[in-house]
Amino acid sequence: MQIVDIHHVSRRFGSVQALRDVSLSLSAGTIGLVGNNGAGKSTLLKVLLGLLAPDAGGGTILGCDIRHGSRELRSRVGYMPEAAAIVPMLRGVEFVAFAGDLYGMPHRDAKRRAHEVLNYVGLGELRYRRLEEYSTGNLQRLKLAAALVHDPQLLLLDEPTNGLDPAGRAAMLELLEDLIAETGKSVFLCTHLLGDVERLCRQIVVLDRGTVARAGTMQEMRAEVNNRFELSWTGDAAVFRTTLTAAGVEFADPADQGQAKVMVVVPSGFSTGTFFELARASGTVLTHLKADEENLERLFFRVTLQDDTVPEPAQGQTLPAT
Amino acid sequence: MELDQAHYHGWQGTLRSPWSACAAIVRVAIVQVLRNKAYWLVLGLGTLRFLAYWSIIYAVTQLTLPGDAHDRLLEAFGFSANSDVDQNNGYIMFMEGQNIVVMILLAFSGSLLVGADFRLKALPFYLSRRIDKRHYIVGKLLAISTVIALLTVVPALLLFLEYGMFTSSTEYWLANWRIVVSVLAFGAVLCIVNSILLVAIAAYLQRIVPITIAWASLFLLVGRLGSFLYRETDNAYWRLLDPWRDMRLVGRLCFGSFRDETDRTLAWWALAILTTLCAVALLALVHRVRAVDVVE
Repeated sequence: MQIVDIHHVSRRFGSVQALRDVSLSLSAGTIGLVGNNGAGKSTLLKVLLGLLAPDAGGGTILGCDIRHGSRELRSRVGYMPEAAAIVPMLRGVEFVAFAGDLYGMPHRDAKRRAHEVLNYVGLGELRYRRLEEYSTGNLQRLKLAAALVHDPQLLLLDEPTNGLDPAGRAAMLELLEDLIAETGKSVFLCTHLLGDVERLCRQIVVLDRGTVARAGTMQEMRAEVNNRFELSWTGDAAVFRTTLTAAGVEFADPADQGQAKVMVVVPSGFSTGTFFELARASGTVLTHLKADEENLERLFFRVTLQDDTVPEPAQGQTLPAT
Repeated sequence: MELDQAHYHGWQGTLRSPWSACAAIVRVAIVQVLRNKAYWLVLGLGTLRFLAYWSIIYAVTQLTLPGDAHDRLLEAFGFSANSDVDQNNGYIMFMEGQNIVVMILLAFSGSLLVGADFRLKALPFYLSRRIDKRHYIVGKLLAISTVIALLTVVPALLLFLEYGMFTSSTEYWLANWRIVVSVLAFGAVLCIVNSILLVAIAAYLQRIVPITIAWASLFLLVGRLGSFLYRETDNAYWRLLDPWRDMRLVGRLCFGSFRDETDRTLAWWALAILTTLCAVALLALVHRVRAVDVVE
């Protein structure tokens, strides 16, 4: 089932083209939305929430027309904002019930449901605390409960682990994994923490300057890099480079001649054994050969910066601000 | 059967109209005001005024007072319960007095009821649900109006009921039905003007000190300026600069009870000024709410 099916969507704010000819067809499941600041993530989220109609293009989200079905759409979507977004002086259970009221749930149902979802997210014991007394981690859980109160088909989570310590982040991700596994709800995760996307999402949308740089499953994207290898050798480097080039191998960074390990891109049908044959023919010995297992960080840098020479980011590294 | 709380449960029900959310916004606003103990002092002041008027009505209708104590008591409180008395109409006096309490309460609660939505970025919480900006604005205006009505209209109507109960009951109520209409009309003016001005000011200024300063400036300093210009020029129209006095004049228009002919002439001008002021404030409020990004 397609939950997002939009075609040629564009949106401009004054002189800024926030979205440019965006087409997406995403099936139910967990979807990660990544991109630099200013890439158009917020604008796309607004379109997904039915808060913004596109200037051009159209399509459906959860079967609702993105131009005319905004209220119907929001009744099927639960949104967890990045900001604190608290209503002062309320208790946790009142806040979640209030969210239900704002969705149009009968008040009695909203109250009952608030107790249920607070138990589910692990805040059953803290439900009568004032919002001002919640820790950052518990506040994130509370906002998740408020997004779940009307039992939506799709959850839009905006930076759900932002500001959490490592233990809080792990607990939040565990809760989200459990939610996805148990309820089968579709989740749209918008975050700068690529490790979170890698852990939770099966599909990824990479936005870059208002366009979709890549969209698909992680496996599909990784398949694109099966022709990349990292290797090093001993012997005459110039001769081996010439031999590799003659065999159709391209160097990811041709300018750098002095690296201990180099990244190469091989033509189709090239097997790893060929490396050893070419090395033997050029009188060199291979000391290192490894298929490039690209993680999401490297994939992100590759598709957005079009630069293969970026260093390997550390686990949990955030995207650069632009 | 024991409820399984460890697992997720779905919900199947019918969602109501987004306008029903306005009632929830009102309910939450009342809870917010009552939870803040600092406001109890002001609410207590309003309750005390109400109880004072209640006691006067009880005293003059139920107790046998010696000599002219009855008249002197009424005169001391400037009270008359009959609609045909132009001077010292008790209900106007009561509502004007309660409006002072309302003004104090609103000056301090604007930050909590409206400013916090902008300051703590709670607006995305509202607008990402099924309601839109219209429902939010109407909900907040109704919330403030409810607070105002609870301190002005409701007690005034209770006094009307009390006077009837302690005197000739249905005869008093039927003979003075216009008082109920006047109380409701004056209450509507107070609710509309105060709520629109407060929500607009609080949406821009957000914090308690700037809101209080702006609120006091609007209703006290501008009034002082109007009085000063009136004294210097002897032109009564300068007094229309004072929005608080304008509200009182429109209130007297509702009751048809004026202190003098000048007030009668100025009342319609006051209504026009308040209408313009509210229209400008409402436009500014809509502009401010529209500028808020639900997704940042």
